[in-house]
Amino acid sequence: MFERFTRDARRVVVQAADVEAAALGAQTVEAEHLLLALSDTIGVAHATLVEALEAETAASLDAVGVVLRPPPPAPRRGSMRMGASAKLALHRSLQAALARKDRRIGAEHLALGVLQAEVGTVPRALALAGLDREAIAAGL
Amino acid sequence: MEIAGATQPSPEDALAAVAALRRLADRVEDDAVGRALGDGWTWPRIAEALGVTKQAVHKKHAKRLREAGGV
Repeated sequence: MFERFTRDARRVVVQAADVEAAALGAQTVEAEHLLLALSDTIGVAHATLVEALEAETAASLDAVGVVLRPPPPAPRRGSMRMGASAKLALHRSLQAALARKDRRIGAEHLALGVLQAEVGTVPRALALAGLDREAIAAGL
Repeated sequence: MEIAGATQPSPEDALAAVAALRRLADRVEDDAVGRALGDGWTWPRIAEALGVTKQAVHKKHAKRLREAGGV
């Protein structure tokens, strides 16, 4: 699948893993890390997305009455596996490219794949930030 | 399971909370394993304290900590 990726799309995946997931100390690369790497593509400031994701975590924990003060994220280095949400997003981006009869998978297809999720961290974070997931996708 | 102080959350909120807790648990684990090693704990002892096999804890953390220059 990766051989079909444009240079931009590859850069997004590499940034998601080596920059976004690494900086957040994540153990796997997830859809929200792809979202952060796609901030230019979807036209939403990176800082806005970071804040939205933090708000999503806080709101989710609050909803079940959990109060935690976790240690700040320790940056990670080295290769990281793709987690389930990122794999699903990549699969959906391939579907999006096929649906548009595009031969290559570009950053815009990755964004469509990430934005297609109706449940999970990404749509919740976007909704909390007042960002319209479907409108963003429609503009790609 | 009932969580003190919480009214029944929607399934979506509850599922998202589980996802958030996993992310935070991973972060706490990274921090704790690194500090335990720094305090001279062995891998088998860390594994036993975490309730996982020593292969699992080694596989999950050894490479990361080596690359971070800690071990």
